[in-house]
Amino acid sequence: MTTSAIAPNLPRTAVKPFYFNTSAHLLRITRQKASSLGEFLDALRECPEGSIFQHSFRTLQEHHFIREGFSNDFAHWALSACNEPSLAEGLASVDVREFTSVAELRERFVEIVQNFLQRNPAAGARPAKETFYFCASDTVVIPANFVAHTLQEFAEGLRGVSLHSVHHHFIEARLRLKLMSNDFSQWLYEDMGLTEAARQLNRIDIYTGTLEDVRNQIIRIVERALI
Amino acid sequence: MEPVEPQTEVEVTARESQPEFGVPSTAAPDRRERRKKPRTWETPPAPVPPPRLDDYKGIVGAADIDELKFLARDLTGKTLKMVNSTAVGGGVAEMLNQLVPLLNELEVKTHWDVITGGNDFFEVTKAFHNALQGSEYNLTPQARDVFLMHNELNRQRMQFTEDVVVIHDPQPAALIRARDESPRRWIWRCHIDLSNPNPEVWGFLRPFIEQYDAAIFSAQSFSRQLEIPQYLFYPCIDPLSEKNKDLDDSFVQQVCDEFGVDRSRPIVTQVSRFDRAKDPVGVIQAFKQARKYVDCQLVMAGGGASDDPEGAAVLKEVMSAAGDDRDIIILDLPPWCALQINALQRASTIVVQKSIREGFGLTVTEALWKGKPTIAGAVGGIPNQIIHKLTGALVHSVDGCAYQIRYLLTHPEFARQLGQNGHEHVKENFLMTTNVRRWLLLCRILLAGGAK
Repeated sequence: MTTSAIAPNLPRTAVKPFYFNTSAHLLRITRQKASSLGEFLDALRECPEGSIFQHSFRTLQEHHFIREGFSNDFAHWALSACNEPSLAEGLASVDVREFTSVAELRERFVEIVQNFLQRNPAAGARPAKETFYFCASDTVVIPANFVAHTLQEFAEGLRGVSLHSVHHHFIEARLRLKLMSNDFSQWLYEDMGLTEAARQLNRIDIYTGTLEDVRNQIIRIVERALI
Repeated sequence: MEPVEPQTEVEVTARESQPEFGVPSTAAPDRRERRKKPRTWETPPAPVPPPRLDDYKGIVGAADIDELKFLARDLTGKTLKMVNSTAVGGGVAEMLNQLVPLLNELEVKTHWDVITGGNDFFEVTKAFHNALQGSEYNLTPQARDVFLMHNELNRQRMQFTEDVVVIHDPQPAALIRARDESPRRWIWRCHIDLSNPNPEVWGFLRPFIEQYDAAIFSAQSFSRQLEIPQYLFYPCIDPLSEKNKDLDDSFVQQVCDEFGVDRSRPIVTQVSRFDRAKDPVGVIQAFKQARKYVDCQLVMAGGGASDDPEGAAVLKEVMSAAGDDRDIIILDLPPWCALQINALQRASTIVVQKSIREGFGLTVTEALWKGKPTIAGAVGGIPNQIIHKLTGALVHSVDGCAYQIRYLLTHPEFARQLGQNGHEHVKENFLMTTNVRRWLLLCRILLAGGAK
């Protein structure tokens, strides 16, 4: 996607309508668990991709109401159960939006833990206060009650859908699209010709506000594009 | 200290002498004077009809209810059977009473069957229940025979024609013998903590469990390594129940007046039956430590002392620990006092659940739902609900609990944020509507061939 100025002669109706969907997730308890950082590193390597997705992407949805201090389950466990603030900081700094595949994301987490344990070998066997149980997410995608043919309808849909739908289109989407983008930006760019609005959406910081804040920011950008 | 008078089912104990450090309450009326007033909560209220799906729209939003309808659409015409061991009393029956009508409303035809059995069967299954949660037990051939015989009698009596059969807890677990070559899916829903089971009893039950298509546990830590897929279904609360629905402030005030709770001063509350696992004496010790620095009252609202000898003994210990402190209000309430419990939780400044052993800890869920800053022991399913310093405070000791009481009472903005986060956490993960969603999802996944 380019970041050029707003395309002239905006179409009143989209080339293709935007169908709002949502994803529903069921948590499966996997075989992996860790009672120390050494075990955690092994489990990180072995766990199904669904676990990496669950504890990074999906946990953001489960904890969408937390404004600050929560990034992913791995970072939270490193701090609260292992009392390793520098490792926790490293894990927390992983931004899921920089990844378009779970495999790459797993590599990043493994690299951080591995490097930490190389610098702090004694930490590997130290028992954690609580065991980390790896879960995985089984996902079913279902339609939401909104379809947008126009920007106006798009804004209405954004207001009406659940936060699960916002997460599905705005955060999880990059794994489907394999692009550093999201469904909303793609539609605004490809089907409405709103390059700048699409770009602005991609700049929203999902880690410094709640998902409701994110929704409101998206709506504000779309409303500005309506004027 | 006044003795407990056992002739009343509801006992309100207020203290009459001065506390060591606290400010004496002038708002609490004399106990005997209060007793002259009519007490409507001494008799059970009439049962309330179960809520309809649309009743939840105002709580979780129309979009979430629409999602349930979309999820159910592919299951229209499918049938589901729930089987457990009791129709009334206990958390499982309470949950099924709400879940089954909601699934039926979504046109997933759901039947609920209850197994039958003699005293011998229920004695064995109670022993199994305790053994699976870690108690010592010697599994005899006679106990195995009783368990298998009653499961077989129930298998012969019941029909399993539904698309999905859900067996709740260990009592009816051997009904899996009714499984045939049909594509019917069988699910075992375990509501108890299997993290440290008696090996003999678990060794006996495990071969039955592994014949199911999937097992469901209430917390990750309650599960076992099994050869079948295991899913995580957190227990849930119903936001429209007497225990959790919104209340008029006038009612909250009325309940506080009846119990002698002074709303002009901070209120710290623990709601739980009088059981050592809930560490009620530890709560009193923590309260007394905290009150050296901050003014507050403690409400210990529980039950179980009238029909359980151990509960009565624990209540005695609690009374003894409280001494003649009139800022400690101990309430032994009958089981139908859900509205009064609700009011006390809503009146509280802080809710404590300082358990040292716990199941999932639904009293924590209730407190979080009411937006209360909550301090709880880091045991059982509580860490699933309380993310330390984000949705509440986890503690491991009396000293830790005392510190958190002091901290939260003196940092009301932080406490308010914890309460708000806690409420949202429950809304996202621990409400009845989320439970319905999980059942719909699991049925869809299993019927699409997604497990085993």
